[in-house]
This record gives sequence, C-alpha cells and structure tokens, in this order.
Amino acid sequence: MIGNDIIDLSFAKTQSNWQRSGFLEKQFTKDEQQLILASLNPFVLVWKLWSMKEAAYKIYTQQNEKRFFCPIKFECSLISEKEGLVFFQNQFFYTSSIVTDSYILTIANQNKEIKVFSKLVAPKGIDNIIKLKLQDVTRLPSSEIEQKKSKNGAPNYYHKNLLLTRSCSISHHGNYGLFSLLYA
Amino acid sequence: MTREELIASLKNIVKPYAQDLEAFNNLSEETDFIKDLKINSANLIDVILDLEDEFDIEIDNDSMEKMLSVKAAMEIIEFKLLDS
Repeated sequence: MIGNDIIDLSFAKTQSNWQRSGFLEKQFTKDEQQLILASLNPFVLVWKLWSMKEAAYKIYTQQNEKRFFCPIKFECSLISEKEGLVFFQNQFFYTSSIVTDSYILTIANQNKEIKVFSKLVAPKGIDNIIKLKLQDVTRLPSSEIEQKKSKNGAPNYYHKNLLLTRSCSISHHGNYGLFSLLYA
Repeated sequence: MTREELIASLKNIVKPYAQDLEAFNNLSEETDFIKDLKINSANLIDVILDLEDEFDIEIDNDSMEKMLSVKAAMEIIEFKLLDS
C-alpha cells in the first residue's frame, strides 16, 4: 500500500500559523517538536513532518475502515534529507519526501522495494490524468475506467469489475495535485 | 447552553476554515469537517485550538481522534463541560 501528501508552501504560510500556541504540541511528539525547534528552517520541517504523517495515515485508511484524527500518534523520524520512517501501531511506513521552495511532497510505502508511479500535476482534472495514465499502462479505454471510493474515501480505479490499482493515493493542496499508483 | 447555541458557536468557529460554502450554509449535526466542509486537515488543529479557547476546555488526544464531525465535536464539548 502507498499513501501520499502534497503541501503548497505558499498556502501553508497563509492558511496556518505553526507558531500559534498549542499548534505544535497537539500534533507533534516531544522528539519531533525538538527537531523542529532546533531546525534552521522550522516552517519547512513542520510541513515536511506533517506530510509524512498524512501520507502514512492514507495507507492506514486503505487497510482499515475507521477514520480518525490523531497526527501525534504517527511518530516520525528522519533517516536522511529525503528518507524517513513513520511508526504507527506496530507498523513502519517508509517515506520519501521532496522539498522545494514552492512545495513539499511525501510518498509513504509499506514496502520500500516496490516501485510506485507518482506524478505532480495541476489540482483540476487529476482524475482524468490518472485514467489516461491507466489507459497507457493497461491499453483499456480511459472512458471505461472508473474511480470508486471505499467507505472512508480511499479511491481505486476499475475497468468494469476489474481492479486496476492495487493502491492509489490522491492529494491536492493549493496549486498542486499529486497522485501515486501501485498497479494491480 | 442549548444544542442550537452550541451548533451556532461551532459554526462560527469553523467558518474561517470551511472551504465548501454550500456545506457550511447547510451545516447540521451530521456535517463532516473533512468530507463535507473540506476543511484542510492541518486546519482541523486550528478548529480544535479554537474550541479549547472558546469553551475553556482541554481536548486530549483521545477526544481529538474522534473530532471529525459536528456531532462528535458537540459530544466532546458537552462531555468536557460537564466534567469541568
């Protein structure tokens, strides 16, 4: 399973104030807070860790029917500039993040050996772009490919009753959309 | 506080973060913060902090976990207010 998250940094700047009292304490563990406060660019680290938690949560919601909101329980650690680990309820999720001046994206994967297809696009029309990608891969006409969502909102793509994606994650924020696919 | 007053005050709090205006205008106990109002999940933290300030309560992690709908938020606030 895979999960992803995208953060448009210009939106993050205006939509949230990470320095608001209680903001860090509510969602980050003590260790994460220390990392953030010691960082040269705490704003970027706040959103990088947040995107790791979100991406891991999106794997969890594909495995479980229950939705909940508890970012603090997804404990992050950084392995390198790009790679990280998120620990939640006896499970590890491997993450890979890209940080630029404009956005942060994270892809979480349960099995880091498995190759994931991900693409950063405009937020509008993302569903059609995914269908065209699946048309390329499967040779099935995109007009016959359908998105279906599970009870808790996790999407997958089908051709009639045939599942085309083993795992699929879609995020959008501000001017960006991001999708990640594991083919069935 | 009546349930109507509680809903009105909740509506006031979520207003700056709600991205779906139609869902916001039709807000009821069944409204889901993320699915219906399209509140960005990072802003859910702001909603929780605003609720804490407004009602002078502390919303712990276990309560926060359930904070996905108007109904859940109302139950948590009512419970915390009884408790305090």
